[in-house]
Amino acid sequence: MKIAMIVIAAAILPACAQEIKMPVNLDALADKADEAVTVTMDKSMLQFAGKFLNDRDGDEADVRRLIAGLEGIYVRSFQFRNEGEYSGADVEAVRSQLQSPAWGRLVGVRSKHGENVDVFFKDGGNAKLGGIVVIAAEPRELTIVNIVGTLDPARLADLGGEFGIPRLERSRTHGEAR
Amino acid sequence: MRAQACAAVLTALMAGSTAFGGDAEFDRIVKAIESRYGTRPVRVPFLGVANLFVKVAHPEGATGFKLAVFEDLKSAEDPGVWRERNRFMDTLAGPNLHPLVRVTSRREGEATYIFMTPARKSARLLIATFERNEATVIEVQANIDTLLKSLEDPEHAGRTLRE
Repeated sequence: MKIAMIVIAAAILPACAQEIKMPVNLDALADKADEAVTVTMDKSMLQFAGKFLNDRDGDEADVRRLIAGLEGIYVRSFQFRNEGEYSGADVEAVRSQLQSPAWGRLVGVRSKHGENVDVFFKDGGNAKLGGIVVIAAEPRELTIVNIVGTLDPARLADLGGEFGIPRLERSRTHGEAR
Repeated sequence: MRAQACAAVLTALMAGSTAFGGDAEFDRIVKAIESRYGTRPVRVPFLGVANLFVKVAHPEGATGFKLAVFEDLKSAEDPGVWRERNRFMDTLAGPNLHPLVRVTSRREGEATYIFMTPARKSARLLIATFERNEATVIEVQANIDTLLKSLEDPEHAGRTLRE
């Protein structure tokens, strides 16, 4: 029985430890960037914000429900004066953490202008998401959004424009490859 | 009665002009900047009176503020200086002071650091803004709308609370 518990614990622990970390070299990018924005909302701060969202207000109630299961929201956004001021290795440090079976890439857009967007989802079970990472890389811009915790995919768009997360745009004109 | 009123006004003015009342986190940040840059905040006359008006007017959801302005900071354009300042501001975070937003704009020569201390019914926001030659530290008691606005547009939040 004890062995079974240890085996179960060993199986669960790595899954719990699979939250991605914003690598240190990303902070170093802030030193090089022309403009840099860092947003850090850990669980205690999300819970605190949630307390003040009004349940009777439709939009606020939606956001409140959405953040109830979240552990943290972390945004790093950089704009550079010139192309090539950040390297593929900087992005790879994040992307490599998302190669485990728990993570899947749902969206991958490559543009001939070098505007690339990847959206990674972590399976949270019960038709819920266990986390989301968005990497939007352009020649002179890099944005990484890391949403940790359980959330309902149907309510995902509600987070756009909140807590420093860029607003999600539903569609674009034909022929625009983004 | 008149003497008491005068005393109250004088106390408010004095508290305002030095701008360092009771809050430990505000004092801690101001002292850290003082010691780091070897400068002292300038006196802001009638700040206490302004604070009374702020309590009445509630601009941008703020219900009170503390302010410290540092002039002649002579912060260089050198990337190393920006890097060191980011590290320095990171060290100011603590169990009662969560780093929330950091915006650095080398183009504008401006850096804004927003920290938050959760309070019972509101948040206490501590906003430190560095410009080319001066720095401002503001502490406001803010409602959740202000908090969310500061997340959406941190530079605007810093600017409106400072002006």
